[in-house]
Amino acid sequence: MHLETRNLAIGYPEHRVAKDINLTARTGEVLCLLGPNGSGKTTLFRTLLGLLKPLGGSITCDGAELTALPRQEIARRIAYVPQAHNAAFPFTVKDIVLMGRTAHRGAFAAPSPGDHDAAMEALASLGMDGLENREYTRISGGQRQLVLIARALAQAAPLIVMDEPTASLDFGNQIKVLSRVRALADQGPGVVLSTHDPDHAFAVGDRVVFLDQGGIVAEGAPRDVLTPERLMAAYGIDVDIVELAGGQTVCAPAYRNT
Amino acid sequence: MSVREAPGAPLLPAWGIVGTRTVATILLAIFASLVGAYPVTLGEAARIFTGWLAGRPDGSTAETVLLEVRLPRIAAALLVGAALAGSGAVYQGLFRNPLVSPDILGVSTGAGLGAVLGIFLSLPIILIQGFAFIGGLATVAVVYAIAAAVRGREPVLVLVLAGVVVGALAGSMISLLKVLADPYDQLPAITFWLLGSLSSIRPADVWSVLPAILAGLVPLVLLRWRINVLSLGDDEARTLGVEAGKLRIIVIGATTLMTASVVAISGVIGWVGLVMPHIARMLVGPNFDRLLPASMLLGAGYLLGVDTLARTMSQVETPLGILTAFVGAPFFLWLLARGRHGWE
Amino acid sequence: MRHVIASTIMLLGLFGAMPLRAGEFTDSAGRKVNVPQEVAKVFASGPPASVLVYVLKPDALTGWPRSLRENEKPYIAPAQRELPELGRLTGRGDTANLEVVLKTAPDLIIDFGSVRDTYISLADIVQTRTSIPYILIDGRFEATATALRLVGDALGVPERGEKLAEYTETLFADLDAALATIPEGQRPRVYLARGPDGLETGLKGSINTEIIERAGGRNVADPGDADVRRGIVQASMEQVLAANPDTIITWDSTFFEKVWSDPLWAKVDAVQKGRVYLSPLLPFGWIDRPPSLNRLIGLRWLAGIFFPEQFNQDLRAQVRSFYSLFYHVDLDEAALDTLLAGARGGRPQ
Repeated sequence: MHLETRNLAIGYPEHRVAKDINLTARTGEVLCLLGPNGSGKTTLFRTLLGLLKPLGGSITCDGAELTALPRQEIARRIAYVPQAHNAAFPFTVKDIVLMGRTAHRGAFAAPSPGDHDAAMEALASLGMDGLENREYTRISGGQRQLVLIARALAQAAPLIVMDEPTASLDFGNQIKVLSRVRALADQGPGVVLSTHDPDHAFAVGDRVVFLDQGGIVAEGAPRDVLTPERLMAAYGIDVDIVELAGGQTVCAPAYRNT
Repeated sequence: MSVREAPGAPLLPAWGIVGTRTVATILLAIFASLVGAYPVTLGEAARIFTGWLAGRPDGSTAETVLLEVRLPRIAAALLVGAALAGSGAVYQGLFRNPLVSPDILGVSTGAGLGAVLGIFLSLPIILIQGFAFIGGLATVAVVYAIAAAVRGREPVLVLVLAGVVVGALAGSMISLLKVLADPYDQLPAITFWLLGSLSSIRPADVWSVLPAILAGLVPLVLLRWRINVLSLGDDEARTLGVEAGKLRIIVIGATTLMTASVVAISGVIGWVGLVMPHIARMLVGPNFDRLLPASMLLGAGYLLGVDTLARTMSQVETPLGILTAFVGAPFFLWLLARGRHGWE
Repeated sequence: MRHVIASTIMLLGLFGAMPLRAGEFTDSAGRKVNVPQEVAKVFASGPPASVLVYVLKPDALTGWPRSLRENEKPYIAPAQRELPELGRLTGRGDTANLEVVLKTAPDLIIDFGSVRDTYISLADIVQTRTSIPYILIDGRFEATATALRLVGDALGVPERGEKLAEYTETLFADLDAALATIPEGQRPRVYLARGPDGLETGLKGSINTEIIERAGGRNVADPGDADVRRGIVQASMEQVLAANPDTIITWDSTFFEKVWSDPLWAKVDAVQKGRVYLSPLLPFGWIDRPPSLNRLIGLRWLAGIFFPEQFNQDLRAQVRSFYSLFYHVDLDEAALDTLLAGARGGRPQ
């Protein structure tokens, strides 16, 4: 599958956030979205998910105009992983994951045995089996994030959009979740994720899109986009980009008084 | 294989609770049919029931009491309790808040205004009930129309605020009518209506609200899974393939139909729609699949119990709205103090 | 306690009221009030007081608590038919504006009803603020004759007060003499049906059913010795069937028309025997609404219903003379027919 935006302008009727956005997301690939606060990452996601009308330009999904599709059709193509949140009610982990199957069932249907199997498989693929009867409100933040990813897997959409999946997670959970994301993309679905940490883009990103100043300022491989100069321009800080002995690239900010 | 067995496993205990509640409610209904101001013995009751089933009514006063007075009242208590608690469960999910009652969009206040207007105009009972029903529906429609016109970024919040404002307006119109009403004969009637009672329930009342309750209940049962999804919030529900706005208007319409129709025959009865879904959620969890039947059963049993108390505890009828609060409020506080909230 | 309150009130009265050239008057609450010798205009604080003042001295009345409806006007003397609506000072919903009271410049304010502390304090407050003498008159039915004499004196019409008081005492005495011959068990068991469904009633001992009990009826809405507020309550059909009253009194014409064809009410003795009676309401109710002198004719009517042998009366003549004596109107046949429709009980023709 192939999601493509053409000259997309995003924002609210009274306030445009960014314009001229041209990007492509494909199955099997992790696309990382970086940019300072207010650069429009969340607005772009809301637009891609059909929650916000584009102010201009187009979004196509394998050639079909996204905004013309009914909600259920969009949900079959793009799944969404919000930041780990607190549900209002203590649904079981499995109920939450089962909700990912909604788009595949009629309006009046409850989940079928097949849906239950799909939910259990999604949980198992993230190493979460055994937690299905726990209350979603009573598991850790990292587990919650994985449950939401499992829900997106159960939704079986070729593209998964993740809004800062590592925000509010502790260090260990960040790494665990990102590892799962990478493994996930290798098995099929494309992933678009936003993050604030260049390290995450180096670790899991196939491509990086850098949003700033009302549009895309750079797009390409992580090493090409996330240069010290660009990070300086965007954030006003000095960083070193270092390749470690094992081949991993990290971003090391320089802490000093300015 | 464990994955295969999983779907059924957590459901069984929940359905067990529903089953035992059903049996308990039936037993309570049988008990309720045997107590009351008019003495009817167990033997007499058995004879009357068999005579009734055989199509041979004996025309006695005991028969009239049992079949024409008590049974409709028991049926009404079950229906009203089930409808209020079911509506409460739906609204708590819809508004993602376990402290929401079915009145949040003003249905009871609107029905109250309709009924009070009917009493003020000295209309016959049937028209007072009709006014109440239409008042409830119209108030929620106005609230929804205002919220839709505002078009905020937070539709649920706008809806609740519109409900508060319109409810307050309807409340002050009720107060105005109370001031204008004849203090010797309309004012007591208004007061009693606003306190809620099943004392004057007729078989016809039960038959007339039944279709409206069913018409409201059927869509809720059919959409039960989507209502779960909606309780995650509009945006998340949309990304899961649910048309949140459309679903909400259907659900609000169905719930309002149910609530307005029962309030029309019972008057305003608080607490049932707030507390019962709460207890049901503690028993069977928040999944609407089980929460809806469990809430309705609990609500039916609770209101039947309270109404039986209302008509037997003293020589005079105790208004239901007062009793449900007296029983419901401390119980609710106890639940809060126990700390097992059923929500986070 | 009463003394303390009374002396406080006296003190308040000293500071509040201007000492007019007037006689000191002791009202039913024991308050000493300076009432002017010439009382030309009276503000009646509520419906019961308005009836009392209208009956004793109609010209003194400055207005009605609520303006008269068209169907009530033929039963009121022409001069008082169009009096303005002034609202009420006491009871539920205080709708009278003190400025309105002052604008009518009454010489006296009269409250007829409860003389409990709430009303005493209300009277004192209004009297202090307006400097208009305010008297409280005990409105209990038994005290009717006393009230007539007391207010007759205050309004400068003692002869009229005496005449009406004597009518009242004769009526009470006749009734007591008759009741003495009728054992408790032979008195009718009565249910007061209020509201369009007939399922509101007044408990035994309440002001709403006072004259039913005074006329010798046994109120079936009897909570025994239970410590409950004696007022209007809601009843259920089952309670009515269990009580099975042999006489039903109502003032609701909707209920009166419907009760005969209702299968549930059909089980009640009173309906089977045709003993459901519709209380006349013009210009004031005969049972209650308001609880004032209007109940005297209701008492005579009920006595005739309950004990037809002892009170073998010509109702039309009785009503005509009562309305002439108390309400200053001579009723023609058509007005009597309208008034008494349903008062003889039984299924309407």
